[in-house]
Amino acid sequence: MRLVLALLLVATPLAAQVDSLNRAFDLERRGNYAAAVTAYRAVLKGRPSEVSALLGLERSLAPLSRTAEMVPDIGVALAANPTATALYGVAVRTYGAANMPDSLRRAVERWAQLAPKDETPYREWGNALLARRDRAGARAAYLAGRQQLGPTALAPELAQLAVLEVDYPGAAREWLLAVKKLPGYRSGAVVTLRQTPDAQRAAVLKVLDADGSPDALRLDAELRARWGDPVGGFERLSQVLPADPVEARDLLRQFAEGLRGNTAPAYRQAMGRALEAMAQRTNGAQKSRLQLDAAQAYLDAGDRAAARRMLASLASDGESPAALSASASGTLLRLLVEEGKMEEAEKSLSQYRGVLSTQEMATLTRRVALGWARAGKLDRAEALATADSSVDGLALRGQLKLFQGDIAGAVELLRAAGPYAGTREQATARTSLLALLQPIEEDSLPELGAAFLFLERGDTTAAVAGFTSAGGKRPRNKGGAELLLLAGRLEMARGQAPVAEKLFRAAVDTTAPATAPAALLELGHLLASSGRGGEAVPVFEQLILDYPRSALVPQARRALDEVKGAVPQ
Amino acid sequence: MCLGCVSRRDFLRVAAAVPVIPAMLHVPGPVRADWLLIPMDDAQAEHLKAYGLTFRAIQRGVKAEWLLNYRGGSFLLPNDPAAARDAALNGITVEGLSDSAVMQVRGEIATSNMDAVPLEKAPKVAVYVPPFAAPWDDAVAMALNYAGIEYDKLWDTEVMDQGLKTYDWLHLHHEDFTGQYSKFYLNYAGAPWLAEMVSRNRDVARQLGYANVPALKKAVAQQISAFVERGGFLFAMCTATETLDLALAAANVDIAASYADGTPVETGASSKLDWSKSLAFQDATLELSPTTPVYSDIDGHQVNSADRRQQLGTFTIFGFSAKIDPVPTMLVQNHRDVIPDFYGLTTSFTRKTLKPGVTVLADEPGAPWVKYIHGEKGQGTWTFYGGHDPEDPQHQIGDAPTDLTLHPHSPGYRLILNNVLFPAAKKKELKT
Repeated sequence: MRLVLALLLVATPLAAQVDSLNRAFDLERRGNYAAAVTAYRAVLKGRPSEVSALLGLERSLAPLSRTAEMVPDIGVALAANPTATALYGVAVRTYGAANMPDSLRRAVERWAQLAPKDETPYREWGNALLARRDRAGARAAYLAGRQQLGPTALAPELAQLAVLEVDYPGAAREWLLAVKKLPGYRSGAVVTLRQTPDAQRAAVLKVLDADGSPDALRLDAELRARWGDPVGGFERLSQVLPADPVEARDLLRQFAEGLRGNTAPAYRQAMGRALEAMAQRTNGAQKSRLQLDAAQAYLDAGDRAAARRMLASLASDGESPAALSASASGTLLRLLVEEGKMEEAEKSLSQYRGVLSTQEMATLTRRVALGWARAGKLDRAEALATADSSVDGLALRGQLKLFQGDIAGAVELLRAAGPYAGTREQATARTSLLALLQPIEEDSLPELGAAFLFLERGDTTAAVAGFTSAGGKRPRNKGGAELLLLAGRLEMARGQAPVAEKLFRAAVDTTAPATAPAALLELGHLLASSGRGGEAVPVFEQLILDYPRSALVPQARRALDEVKGAVPQ
Repeated sequence: MCLGCVSRRDFLRVAAAVPVIPAMLHVPGPVRADWLLIPMDDAQAEHLKAYGLTFRAIQRGVKAEWLLNYRGGSFLLPNDPAAARDAALNGITVEGLSDSAVMQVRGEIATSNMDAVPLEKAPKVAVYVPPFAAPWDDAVAMALNYAGIEYDKLWDTEVMDQGLKTYDWLHLHHEDFTGQYSKFYLNYAGAPWLAEMVSRNRDVARQLGYANVPALKKAVAQQISAFVERGGFLFAMCTATETLDLALAAANVDIAASYADGTPVETGASSKLDWSKSLAFQDATLELSPTTPVYSDIDGHQVNSADRRQQLGTFTIFGFSAKIDPVPTMLVQNHRDVIPDFYGLTTSFTRKTLKPGVTVLADEPGAPWVKYIHGEKGQGTWTFYGGHDPEDPQHQIGDAPTDLTLHPHSPGYRLILNNVLFPAAKKKELKT
C-alpha cells in the first residue's frame, strides 16, 4: 500500500506536467501566444531545462516580438543542465535577439566544446547576427567555424551571405566548396546563382572555369543553360559526362529538365543534343523514343540535318516498336514539308494510309495540303483538303480560299470553322483575320490573297508590298486602313520603323474609327521606342481625346504616363 | 457645318471653345457648365492625378478653390477647356456645374464644417534628392511624377549655395542628416550603392570645405531650418524627419558613429542635445549602436531593431474645424479616415518626444506614437509624415519602386499631395 501511494505521488506531477505542456501547445496552435507563454513558463517552473517547453516559449514569444524576454528562462535552463546541447540553439537565438554579444559568444563557445565537430553552433551564431542585419558579424562567426572545422565548413552559409552582399563570384566559390562536399547542394547553388545580375555573370563563369573540376563544369553548364546559352551549357556538360552510362544519362536528364518549357531555337537545339546523347547511352524501345524526341527538338530548332539523322537512325533500327512509327512518320512528314519536298511528302502520306488512324491521317494530310499551298500549288492543296469536313478542315479550306483571293469564300469558311479549330492562338488569329476581311466589299481580291500567301511562305517583304498596295487602293473605311495597319505591324516586326511609321500614319483615319485607335497606339509605341517620346505624347493624346470610348484608351493613358516619366518603367 | 463633315478631332477642337465637352464630363445632357467640380470622394477615378490637374490649372493662372471637407476635399475650377482636356487625358473625373449648382454647393459649405479656400499661386517645388540612384524609392517624387506636378531637384551643393531661396516648398525623404548613411554603413559594407553614396557625400563635403559628412549635413539642416524660418513650407517623410531634428539639436555635439567622422559618439550625447533648435521633437535618447539602423526613441516602431520592432496597425486622420483651422484641415483632406500604416526607417513619432504646440494630424489611437504632425517656425511651416511608402508597407532595400497606376486612390499618398497644394492657398486664409 505504501508503494502504490508513493508511485501515485510521483506519477501525478509528471502527468500534470505533460498535460500542461499539451495545454501550452494547444494555446500556441490556436494563436493565443500570450497565454501560451504563461503556460510554457508554468511547465518550465517544474522542469527548467525541458527542451519542448523552451522551444514552445521561443515560438510563442517570436510573433509577439518579445524573444529577448527569454534571457532569464534560458539562464535557468542552462544552469540546470549545462551539457544539454539542445538548449544552446535556443540560447544563441535568444542572446542574439536580446543583443547580448558577450553571452552569445560564450554560449557558442560552450556549445562548440560540447559538440566539437558540429557546424551548428557557428551556423546559429551567424544566423542570429544576420537576424540583426549584422552581416560583418555573421561573416566573422561563420569564418570562426571554418577555422575550427576545416576549409569547407559552413560554405552554404557563406555563399548565402555573399549573395546578400551582391557578391555572386564569391557566392560561386563558396557554393563550389559546398557542392564538392555534398552534391545535394547543387540545386540550391543553381537556384541561387541563376539570379546573378548580368554584370556579374561573366565573373561567376570565370570562377567556375578556373576551378575546372567536374562539379564546377556541371554548375557552369546549368547556369549557361539558364542564362540564354543552352548549347554552350551542353558543350560544357558533355566534357564531364561520366563513363558510366546510367550516371551520364542521369546528368543529361537533369540538364534536359532545365530546358523544358523553353521553345526558343537554341533551347530546342540543346534539348535535341541532350536527348541524342541520352539515346546513345540507351537501348531498346527507350532509345527509339529518345531519338524521336530528339528529332522533333531538332526540327523545332530548324536543324533539319540533325532531325533527318535521328529519323534515319530510327528507321534503320529494326527493334523500333510499332507504336513509335506513327510519331516518326509524322515527324518525317513534317521534315519533308518544311524542306519543300512535297511530292515525296504526298507519296509518304499515301504509304501511311491504313497504317495510321483516321485522325492522324487527317492531321498529316492538312499539313501536306498547307505545304502545297506554300509551294504555290493551290490546286494540289485544295485537292487534298476538299474531302476534310472537320472544323480544322474548314479552317484550312478558308485559308486556301483566301490565298486564291476568294474573299467571300474565305469569310464563309472561316466563320463556319468558328472558334473550335486548332489551338487557342490559331482561333484568335482567325478571328482577327475575319475582322480584317469583313469591311472589304469585294468578293475577289487576288492581290490580297497573294499577299497572305507570301506571308504564309515567310516572304514578309512581298507580303507587305501586297498589303500596302491593296490597302492603298481601298477606301480607308472599306478595309484599306486595316490592311495598312497590318502592313505597318509587319514592317515594325522586321525592324523597318520608318516604313512602319508611314503606314501607321496612313491607317489613322476618322472614317475608320475601329482601326484608327489601334494605329495611333502602334504609332505612339513606335515613336516612344525610337527615343521620340516628345512626338509620341500628342499621338497618345489624340487617341484618348478623339476616341474616348475605345478599349485602347487605358493602354494609351498608361503609355502616356510612361513617356512622361510619371510611372516607373 | 454638319458633324459628318468634320473629323472628330476637329469637332472636339471646336467644342473646346464652348463651355462643355460632354464626352469628358459626367454631366447629363445639354446643361450649361460654368464650373468644373473635381470630386475627391469615391466618385473620383484618379484621386492622385486630380491634384496635378488643379496644380496645372493654378499654374495657368486659373483661380481654383479647394472645397475643404466637401466630398472628400474636392476642387472647383471655372470651366476651362484646358482643364477639361487635361482631365480627359488623365482619366480624372470632373463634373460640370452651372452657376446655380455652385451656389447650392456654397450654401452647403456655409452651413457645415466645410470651407472654400482659394488656390491662387502654384508653389515652386523643390525636392532634396541625391544625384545618385539610391536603392529605394521616394514616395513624394513618385507622387509628384504621377500627378504631373513640376519640381526641381536639389542637393547639398545647391542648398549650401542659398538655392532654397527661390522655392516655396521643399520636400525631404529618406535622408540622413546625421551623416551616417542611414546607418547602413556596416550592415551593407561592400554593396556598390553604399560605396557610391559614401563616395559622393565625402566628395561634396570636401568640395564645400567640411571636415566630414556629418558636419556638412548639420550645415544643410541649418539651411533648411532657416528656409522654414523665412516662410518656406517644409514637408518631410521617413527618416528625414527624425534626422533633421537630431542634426539641428546636435549642432555642437558629436552624435555620429566613428565610421562617419572618425570619432566615436560623444559621451552623454543625448543629454547634451539642444532641443531649442529643433522643429518638432525634444528630449529624445540616441541609439548608440552603429550596426542598428535606428537613430533614437523618436521613432515609435523601431523597424530595424529586432527586439524593439512594433507591429503595424492603422492610423486615423483627425478632423478639424474647416473655418477655424483651415491649415490642418487642408493637410488631412481625404476620402478615408483610417489608413493602413507603413514602415520606414522612421515610421512614427513617439508622443513623449513631441514638442508642446505640435499639431497632431493623424495617430494610431491608443498607441504611444503618432503618424503625421505639423507645426510652425518663424514665418514658415513644417509637416512630418512617418514611414517610407504608403503603398509598400515594408519597402526593402532594392525593391522596385511602387507603380502608382495600381494605386490611383491611395489615401496615404493623398496626404503627401495635400501638402503640395497647401502652399497654394491664399495667405490671408491661413488663420492657424
